[in-house]
Amino acid sequence: MAGDRTKSKEQTAGMTRRELLRSAGVSVAVGASTLGVVTSYAKTAQQSGNSAGSEEAYEQLTTEEGQLLEVIADHLIPSDDSGPGALDAKAVRYIDRALGGVLSDSLEAYRAGLAAFQRYCRSSRGGDFMELPHNDRISALIDVETGAATGAGAGFVGSSAAFFSMVRGHVLQGTFGDPYYGGNENFVGWDLIGYPGVRTAVTENDQRRLEAGELRPYRRSAYGWEEFEKATVSAAKKGLSHAD
Amino acid sequence: MPTRLPGTDVVIVGLGAAGGVAALPLAESGLSVVGLEAGSRLTRKDFAPDEIRNNVRAWPFTVQKAQREIPTVRPNRLTPSTQGTIHPMMNGVGGTSLHYWAQSWRLNPWDFKVVSEIRRRYGVSKIPEGSTVEDWPFGYEELEPYYDRVEREIGVSGQAGNVNGTIDRRGNPFEGARSDAYPMEPLRWTGFIEQMADAAQNLGWDPFPGPAAVNTRTYQNRSSCMYHGFCNRGGCHVDAKNSTAVTTIPRAEATGNLQVVSHAHVTTIDVDRNGRVTGVTYLQGGEEFFQPTKFVLLASYTYENVRLLLRSTSRSYPIGLSNNHAQVGRHYFSHHQGASVSALFPFDLNSWYGLPAQGVAVDNWADDNFDHADLDFVGGGNLWVYSDRRPIGAAGMNTFGLVPNWGSAWKAFVAENADRSNTSYIQKTTLPYESNYLDLDPVVKDPFGHPVIRITAEYKENELAVAEFMQEKMEQWYREAGATEIVRGGLGRTMGVSTHAYGGTRMGDNAETNVVNRFGVSHEVPNLGIAGASVMGTSGARNPTLTAQALSWRTAQHIVDQWSTLAD
Amino acid sequence: MPLVKLSFDKSVSVMRCKHPLQFSILTALLATVLMSSHLGAQSALYSIVVESPTMASGETMSREHTPDGRNLSPPLTWANLPEGTREIAVICADFGAGNPPPWVHWIIYGIPATAPGLPEGLPIQPGQVMPDDIAGAIQGHNGWRRPYYRGPAPPLGTPHLYHFTVYALDEELGLGPRLTREDLLEAMEGHIIGRGELVPVYERFGSPE
Repeated sequence: MAGDRTKSKEQTAGMTRRELLRSAGVSVAVGASTLGVVTSYAKTAQQSGNSAGSEEAYEQLTTEEGQLLEVIADHLIPSDDSGPGALDAKAVRYIDRALGGVLSDSLEAYRAGLAAFQRYCRSSRGGDFMELPHNDRISALIDVETGAATGAGAGFVGSSAAFFSMVRGHVLQGTFGDPYYGGNENFVGWDLIGYPGVRTAVTENDQRRLEAGELRPYRRSAYGWEEFEKATVSAAKKGLSHAD
Repeated sequence: MPTRLPGTDVVIVGLGAAGGVAALPLAESGLSVVGLEAGSRLTRKDFAPDEIRNNVRAWPFTVQKAQREIPTVRPNRLTPSTQGTIHPMMNGVGGTSLHYWAQSWRLNPWDFKVVSEIRRRYGVSKIPEGSTVEDWPFGYEELEPYYDRVEREIGVSGQAGNVNGTIDRRGNPFEGARSDAYPMEPLRWTGFIEQMADAAQNLGWDPFPGPAAVNTRTYQNRSSCMYHGFCNRGGCHVDAKNSTAVTTIPRAEATGNLQVVSHAHVTTIDVDRNGRVTGVTYLQGGEEFFQPTKFVLLASYTYENVRLLLRSTSRSYPIGLSNNHAQVGRHYFSHHQGASVSALFPFDLNSWYGLPAQGVAVDNWADDNFDHADLDFVGGGNLWVYSDRRPIGAAGMNTFGLVPNWGSAWKAFVAENADRSNTSYIQKTTLPYESNYLDLDPVVKDPFGHPVIRITAEYKENELAVAEFMQEKMEQWYREAGATEIVRGGLGRTMGVSTHAYGGTRMGDNAETNVVNRFGVSHEVPNLGIAGASVMGTSGARNPTLTAQALSWRTAQHIVDQWSTLAD
Repeated sequence: MPLVKLSFDKSVSVMRCKHPLQFSILTALLATVLMSSHLGAQSALYSIVVESPTMASGETMSREHTPDGRNLSPPLTWANLPEGTREIAVICADFGAGNPPPWVHWIIYGIPATAPGLPEGLPIQPGQVMPDDIAGAIQGHNGWRRPYYRGPAPPLGTPHLYHFTVYALDEELGLGPRLTREDLLEAMEGHIIGRGELVPVYERFGSPE
C-alpha cells in the first residue's frame, strides 16, 4: 500500500507520543499522493497502545468526551514540525477545569456539540471522527466550522459554526493563556509565538533589547507574584461581586 | 419602608470618571458630600497581569449590577431588539476609569460649534438630514481652564501643540490653544510607533504623541508607568493609571467631607410636590435606604443616567425626572469606533509591551481640519496607532485570508506573524439624530423588575461616509509604513452598547431641546445636576473622558459658587 | 412527467425532468436559453459540453459532494472547447443564496487548456499540490473566503441549483491566488471565448434534531 504510515507495535514502542502523532499523518505539508491513504487516527493510536488524550482524569467531561475534544484540539493546533500544539499545552485540561467554574454554562453545549459532531461524522463520512482518514477529518471539521454540518444526522444546538467557534476560542485560551488556569503547559504556547513573558515592569532598556532581539523570555505566571490576589479557576460565575 | 439616613449637602450618584472628579471641588469647598457607588473598592493587588481574566472574561465588566441590566439594542423602530452579553459600564470606586485606556483628549474648538461652523464654511444644507445637532452653549475657550485644572489634578501626560497661540510641531498643530504645557511629558514611543510617525510625515501629515491620564514620571507620589502590557481592560498595579480612585477621590476623602458608600445600588431619585429633589433611594446588602440631600449630582454613566431619570416618575415629572419636555434619552449617539483597519507587516513590531494610550496620532483628517467642499460628509476622524498585544489575542489574529483559521498552516502563520499585525480603531465624528434615542425596554427587566435601557440607534449616511473615508486614510498610512496586507472591517450599522456613549441628557441653552443648562444643572429641576458624556452634544474624533471630567469639574464649581441659590 | 430531452442549435445540457418543481425550473431555464439563442452570437458562447460521472443537470447531485457526505469536489469533464482556448476557469455558484447573490461554492482558474476536466476530490489543505493533469491550477476564494470547494448546504426543504460554469479563455492570464468571483470575472473580461454549464440540484430533507 503506497504511503502506508502504520507502524508495527515493535516500531512504535519507545516512540514519544508526539512522534506517533506525526507519523499518523497529522502533519499536513504532504503531497496529494497521501490523500486518503493515511490511516485513521484511532487505529494508529490503538496500535501504539496509547490513547489520544491526557493521562489525568477529567473533572467535568467524561473520558470519551475529553478524548474526542483532545483529538479535535490536536487538529486545531497540531503538534508538528513547527513545534508543540494544543495537546502538549494541555488545552483540554484548561477547558475541563473552566467548565467547572466560569464556563459552567457551556458544559451542556460541549456535551451536545461533541455528541452531534460524532453523529455528523458517522452520517456523512461513515465513522466516528477518530476512525476517519485524515482528509475526511479535516473536511468534517471545515463543515462544522462553516455551519454546513446539519440535517437529520447531526443537529447541533444552534449552528455548528457556533460550536466550532466556541471550541476554537477555548482551545486558543488553553494553549496561549496563563498556565495558572491549567493550559499553556510549560509555556509551550508562549514559546510558539515568541511572547517574551509576563513582567511587572518593562523599562526603556528592556524595550530596546526586545527590538534588538536580545530580550530573553521571562517565564512566569501572573500569579507567580505574591502581591496579587489570586483569580479562582473553578469558582462558579454567579454570586461573585467581582468575578474571578 | 426604607431606612432614613442623616441628611447631607450633596449626593453624587456614581463615583466613576465624572462623579469621582466632581467630588473634589465639592468636598474642598466644605460641603458635605455622600458618594454612592454601586460597586466595590479595588486596589493594586486586584490587578494581576492576567489576560484571561481581564480580556477574555471581561472581568472589569462582570460586576453583578451592570451585568444584570445589559441594555437591549436595535438599529431602528422597525427591527426587534436583542440583548447582548456585556454592559460597558464598570461599577466600582473609580468606575471605568479603573481599567480604561486612559487616553485623555481635549475636544477641538470645532466640536463646540459644529452647526455655525458648517453654516459658515459650507452652507446650512451640508448639515446631515435628520440630525438634531446644536452648537454647544459655549466654546472651547470657556472650558479650557477646566481642562487645564483636571489635567493637573489627575495627571495627564502629553505634548502640547499650541500654547497660547504658539504652535509646537512636536504636538498637534490643530488643537485649541492651551494656557500651559502638559503636566508631564508624553509616554515613550516604540520603534514601530516611530516608524509610523515617520511614514505620516512622509505623507505630509502631522503626527504627534497622544495624551494620556498615565504617569510618565513620579507624580503626586505615584509611580510612573511600567508599560507591562496589561493596561487594556486591566487595572494598574502601580497606580500610574490616573483613575479617580487613586487621585481625586482619596483627596476628597482626605478633606473629611466626602463619605464614600460602596455597594449602594441607587434605584430612584425622589422629589417633593414642588418638584425639588429630596434625596435618593438605594439598596445595599438587601436593605433599602433613603439618603436625604439638598442637591443630587447624577454621574452614573450615560445609560444609567437616562435610566434613573426615566424611572424616577412623580406627579411633578410624570414621564421621568427632568423629562417634561421629553428630551431625556434623545440626541443619543455612540462613537463610531468600528470600521477598523488591520495591517500585516513583514517584520516584528515588538508590541508585546506597552499600552493602548502609548502611540502616535494624526489629526489632519479630523473634524473640519480639511476641506469638505467636494465631499459628501462633514466631520472626520482621528488616526491612532498604538502598542498593545497579549498572547491569546495575538494567537487569534486576523489571517488576512492567507491561511485557514486552524491547522498546521495556520499554526506556522501565527508562529511567524503573531507580532506582525496592527489594528486601528478610528474615532470619528458622530452626530445626534432624531431617530436615535434611548428609552426603557418595554419587556426586558433586571432581577428587581426594573426595565433595562433600550438603545434604538444606527449609523447614518454621514457617519458611514466618514468611516469609509477614514479607512482609506488608515490604509494609506499603513502601506506607507510597509504593510503588505490590509483588511478592512465592515462599515457597521447598529450602534449597540458602547464605552463611548453620548447624549441622552444633553446640555444646551434651549430648555425645549436639552435636559441641562450650560452648567450641567437641569432646566426643570433646580437642585439636580448631571455629569458624564450624557451631557455632550457632539463627540469629536476622540475619547470623551477628559471632556466629561472637565465639564464635571465646572458643574461642581458652579454648584459651589451658586450654593445659596441652588440648595434652597 | 415524461423524460424531456432538449437540444438546440448549440446544445447547452441534457436535462431530465422527474419532478414538477424540476419542470418549472426546466421551463425557466428553457426560456432563458431560448431567449439567448435569439441573440445570435451570444448563444454560440454556450458551446462547451460540461458533464460529470456523479452529477447531471436538473438532477440531484451525489451527497458525496456536499457536507451531508464527504464534501469532495466533484469530477467534471468538458468537451467542444473553442479553437484557441489557452486556459480554463470554473466557478460554482448558487444564485439563490448570498447577500447579494450568488453564493460562491468553488472557484478554480489557471487550468491548463490541455486538461480534459477536473478529477474528484481536489485539495482542501494548504500545501497539497494539484494533480499533474491540472498542474498550475489555483483555487480562489469561495464565499467563505477559503481556497477550496465547499458543497451545497441549502436550508431544509428547499432545492437549490448549483451552476458549475466552465470558461474558455483566449490567453493564459497568469492570475495570482485568492481571487474572488468578482475578481476573476473582471480579469477574464474580453478573454472569454466559450462557456458551458452543468446545473445539478441539491436539497436537504428531514428535521434537525
